[in-house]
Amino acid sequence: MIAQPAPKRDVMARRDIIVAGLGRLVPETGLIADPIRLKPYETDGLSAYRQTPMAVILPETTEQVAAIMAFCHREGVRVVPRGAGTSLSGGALPMEDSVVLGLMRMNRILEIDYADRCAVVQAGVTNIGITQAVQAEGFFYAPDPSSQLACMIGGNVNMNSGGAHCLRYGVTANNLLGLRIVTVEGDIIDIGGAHLDAAGYDWLGLLTGSEGQLAVVTEVTVRILRSPEGARAMLAAFSANEIAGACVDAIIGSGIIPVALEFMDRPAIHACEAFAHAGYPLDAEAMLIIEVEGSVAEQDYMLDRIRDICNRFDPVSLRVSQSAEESLAIWKGRKGAFGAVGRISPDYLCMDGTIPTSRLAEVLGRIGAMSAACGLQVANIFHAGDGNLHPLIMFDANDPTSFHKAETFGADILRLCVEVGGCLTGEHGVGVEKRDLMGVQFTDIELDQQRRVKSAFDPGWLLNPSKVFPLKPEPAAA
Amino acid sequence: MITPSDTDGVIDAIRAAHQAATPLAICGNASKSGLLRPVRAERTLSTSALTGISLYSPQELILTAGAGTTVADVAEAVAAKGQHLIAEPPDLSAFYGSTATPTLGGMVAANLSGPRRVMWGATRDHVMGVVAVNGLGERIHSGGRVLKNVTGLDLCKLLTGSHGTLAVLTEITLKVLPAPERRGTLVLKGLDPTRAVAALAQALGSPYAVSGAAYLPAAMAARIPALAWLDDSVTLARIEDFAPAVAYRTERLRAELANFGAAELLDDAASLAAWAAIRDVTPFAADPAAAPAAVWRVSVRPSTGPSVIAALAHAFDTQWFMDWGGGLLWIAGPATQAAHHAVTAAAGPGAWTLMRAPETLRAAVPVIPPEAAALARIARNVKAAFDPKGILNPGRMVAGF
Amino acid sequence: MQTHFTEAQLRDPDTSVANQILRTCVHCGMCTATCPTFVLLGDELDSPRGRIYLIKDMLETGRPASEEVVRHVDRCLSCLACMTTCPSGVNYMHLVDHARTYIEATYRRPVHDRALRAVLAAVLPRPALMRLTLKGAKLARPFARLLPRKGMFALRLRALLKLAPATVPPASPTEIPASHPALGTRRARVALLAGCAQQVLDPAINEATIRLLTRMGVEVVVAEGAGCCGAVTHHMGKHDPAMASAAANIAAWTRELEGPGLDAIIVNTSGCGTTVKDYGFMFRTAEPGLRAQAERVSALTLDISEYLTKIGYAPTRPAPGLTIAYHAACSLQHGQKVTAAPKTLLRTAGFTVKEPAEGHLCCGSAGTYNLMQPEIATRLRTRKLENIRATGADLIAAGNIGCMTQLAGDTMPVVHTIELLDWMAGGPAPEGIATHGA
Repeated sequence: MIAQPAPKRDVMARRDIIVAGLGRLVPETGLIADPIRLKPYETDGLSAYRQTPMAVILPETTEQVAAIMAFCHREGVRVVPRGAGTSLSGGALPMEDSVVLGLMRMNRILEIDYADRCAVVQAGVTNIGITQAVQAEGFFYAPDPSSQLACMIGGNVNMNSGGAHCLRYGVTANNLLGLRIVTVEGDIIDIGGAHLDAAGYDWLGLLTGSEGQLAVVTEVTVRILRSPEGARAMLAAFSANEIAGACVDAIIGSGIIPVALEFMDRPAIHACEAFAHAGYPLDAEAMLIIEVEGSVAEQDYMLDRIRDICNRFDPVSLRVSQSAEESLAIWKGRKGAFGAVGRISPDYLCMDGTIPTSRLAEVLGRIGAMSAACGLQVANIFHAGDGNLHPLIMFDANDPTSFHKAETFGADILRLCVEVGGCLTGEHGVGVEKRDLMGVQFTDIELDQQRRVKSAFDPGWLLNPSKVFPLKPEPAAA
Repeated sequence: MITPSDTDGVIDAIRAAHQAATPLAICGNASKSGLLRPVRAERTLSTSALTGISLYSPQELILTAGAGTTVADVAEAVAAKGQHLIAEPPDLSAFYGSTATPTLGGMVAANLSGPRRVMWGATRDHVMGVVAVNGLGERIHSGGRVLKNVTGLDLCKLLTGSHGTLAVLTEITLKVLPAPERRGTLVLKGLDPTRAVAALAQALGSPYAVSGAAYLPAAMAARIPALAWLDDSVTLARIEDFAPAVAYRTERLRAELANFGAAELLDDAASLAAWAAIRDVTPFAADPAAAPAAVWRVSVRPSTGPSVIAALAHAFDTQWFMDWGGGLLWIAGPATQAAHHAVTAAAGPGAWTLMRAPETLRAAVPVIPPEAAALARIARNVKAAFDPKGILNPGRMVAGF
Repeated sequence: MQTHFTEAQLRDPDTSVANQILRTCVHCGMCTATCPTFVLLGDELDSPRGRIYLIKDMLETGRPASEEVVRHVDRCLSCLACMTTCPSGVNYMHLVDHARTYIEATYRRPVHDRALRAVLAAVLPRPALMRLTLKGAKLARPFARLLPRKGMFALRLRALLKLAPATVPPASPTEIPASHPALGTRRARVALLAGCAQQVLDPAINEATIRLLTRMGVEVVVAEGAGCCGAVTHHMGKHDPAMASAAANIAAWTRELEGPGLDAIIVNTSGCGTTVKDYGFMFRTAEPGLRAQAERVSALTLDISEYLTKIGYAPTRPAPGLTIAYHAACSLQHGQKVTAAPKTLLRTAGFTVKEPAEGHLCCGSAGTYNLMQPEIATRLRTRKLENIRATGADLIAAGNIGCMTQLAGDTMPVVHTIELLDWMAGGPAPEGIATHGA
């Protein structure tokens, strides 16, 4: 179990008073403080790490959030914001003396403006909920993390979530216009709005991906885009990872940027096929999902060019999706990949490093060697266009040595990513999982600089404690 | 003027300034010194000698260069591989009447983006990594050389657009993309601003990936050679893609916009010329012979662009044009406090920047919107977190800061 | 996901199954999004993942079910939308069924709760008793306004009275065990689960089923000794009566199978179909003979829409020019994964078929849920009807009597899919439609 700072003794001692105070801030069903019902809140999408919080509070308005933050600030209580609880880095892991601030009840869409191509939604609206609300008019919200069905926009903002289509459309940060935030003191601040590029410091950019360290996001103004006329996916299967990697380089080098370019290795192909029945090539070592969009003629033009490139790499098979259903099934397999691995292994750790794409074959080779050395299987899923690698390390959580091995293996993979010029996390966030690896990527000076920025927003370090930064004595407010 | 040739030199200079608590004006080639507030500092630290492209990997869409590398040099290097700078950054030298060439560091420090921003994001969206030196003289790197990176707080975004007030950028890594094979621009003539913005909204809301959406009144169009011959107000929608896609999409869009009139088509060369002029704001190029005017850049909810312009028409004699589908207004008017207040009032919840004005006006008024009290407090804390003694570009963005 | 059972605990076969299910769950949270109670209540505890966690904790500690756990498990509709969503293949149905049995065994419910459950468990599976009760409810309806405004007990009684139909149809001849011979050449022989509550509330469904099948050359037998499938008591955690009902059906159909033979067992109430298809699992620890019989019954069981697709349905009347909002019953779409067949059949029959938005969300009926959790059920009903109305359809078709009862009484008539198919193949127009000018 991961190291946690000691709970604040004064807060634990005043538990009953604090809980009673919180109870006055939300409707009756919005406060959970009994041990049995707190238990399911002890973890998120990374269930290997668990800690039951002091209380869970479920506000319904920004004003309630502000009142909660002001109260917790006054009482010196740590606050862990939580959306759908799908974080794969333990971004919503509570602490014993913390209050979990769940934003799931703030799930209303407040405004949709097609002429200005934006929508204002509360933090608890699911990622796909935005697209579903605007798709009848032919629009969509672009970032599409694999958990988009469940994950919430507030969490997307805090983790700067990506997705399979961010090669073309960018990550969350590139698709936001404004935020309504609540500061640690309980002030409500609007950042940005329906316009592009505010003057002054880029608060929007800094808050995006800040993992709940700086403020609580309660409302989000997102850009919505008009959907393309159509899209089609193609499956290209190869006899080796190296060959598939070289093919990716060749496609991008040719000047074509597909809207998505996804890579799966053999174990991943097999796990996902068992779930989605999408006709993935089970005889291949590596597979690319390549998607293009536009009119049918434009799709044909691009697919022809891509097919020509793929053919230079002696593919095991090439298949262009023939229908919307087929494309849907192809994506169902990819988007359900993490869970699908749950079919072949009781537990997995999902890594999220990014590497320069030119190092793909080398990195996969070394991961394979590490896998053999530690005796744990690994399935690799990779946003090939942008270098974001997701090795899924399979282990058995009921076997403590297996979990320990998986953690070590994962850390080694991330060190490797940094070594070849990449980074620890491309889209899942540092959370608690990669907190202690931050020193691999940053110097102490750099980490202290980041800590001082955190202190500028949250001098008392009450927001989402023990995430992102390696544990050490917290610096005084700047 | 201190012009270090590497990051260590920048560190030494800032350490010394930090110890002596003496302010430094920060610049590249100082091509945009007319932007924002004048900085009062005895010494100037220039990054102009930090030149050179240290990494360019076209198939990884990534380029790293020193902050003093000129934007033109970078553009040329990527063009040689068929790629381009995504946010279409402007060259504002003519706008400021400067003979200096803009640097990459200046482009990023000012977060300057051109017409393509409306579809493809701002400069800040494509800054993948920076190396910078903070006000303590410490080397800070953020981001990296990969396209997706959420490790730690995103200081790349914070530093982009911070005009050298938090740290001095010494090295920058940008995402680049394949340049389009072809461009085409549909032109609707004679629309009023409201109709024009409606047409542009329809174009931007179409499935044809419109990457430029501008409106110029006839007097402004007349100042751009590639548009002057149209002899009317022009509403422009650009498509950039593979040649067959441009042909197809411009035809489809022309049909969809039929309600707004018969659109003419500017070919590749004319498109390049017209959009370069809009990007570089050439209608408002500095004219030493004319009376000094002020120019504001106002970013608003696109559909409200025309009403902002209409409100200003009552206040003073304006010249203006719109980009970003109505969301970006370039406004020129008298360099007076009254005109400035009229612009800021009309902008409402939008954002504004006093882009060019005589020093007296720039020193006298806020040049960007003041922040709410709670945010201003955070801003002061953030400034102190990077530059506790306030030695980097003091007063550049906000007086006394 | 990690579990903490002792070896002794795992020797219990039910706990062992629960452990296997829990180990399949990777806690990814995808299921939360499609769970109706999470969508409405916004609390992890009212999501599948939260309930799985509550159940896991309860089973691991081995302590009696607490009021808190019971509250959240009771709120589960068993709509099984989570199972459609789950990428890991977690069998939530078996886990929650086990939890309900555990709760029934270890938790003492408040007296009014126990009473209501006992009454429902006694009445619903027995057609004659139910008919009598409904007539009583009809008489009691005017007194509903005398009930207190608040309190679960009053709410439930009010819901009960509201759901009771204004007129109780007379008993249909299809209730009587009998064989209905095929018209023309016999191509197959099937057993029909005549069921319990459905034949009281809407006997026309079984009548239409028998008419259509016999017309298509299928002999239909309503087997002697078959009755309620056991789902009502099963979902209340009343293990023994549920198993007794199921065993009776298995025995009745095995007699037919081993006697004149059966090509299929047909269910036209999808809630029941889900349970009958699960008999094999329910009897997994039974003596081998019974277990084999149960497995055979489950394997032979088909929803009526599956069977009609299999034997080939064709209309004989011209298309009526009606637009149908097809309401996918949870038990059919999530429980049995039958999604395309009913819509395809309705289109073949000549109807225009519209699918309401949020089709994956339950209407709130969920067996006896609308009686036990009237507040949530009403909110789901309202939401469902809004989505259905937005389709602009003329009427609603569904394959489950529970949904039909739940959605009735709004602006649109509700009929069973089979009634429409029978009509287009020569049967009479369904009652609701005849007056609708079709």
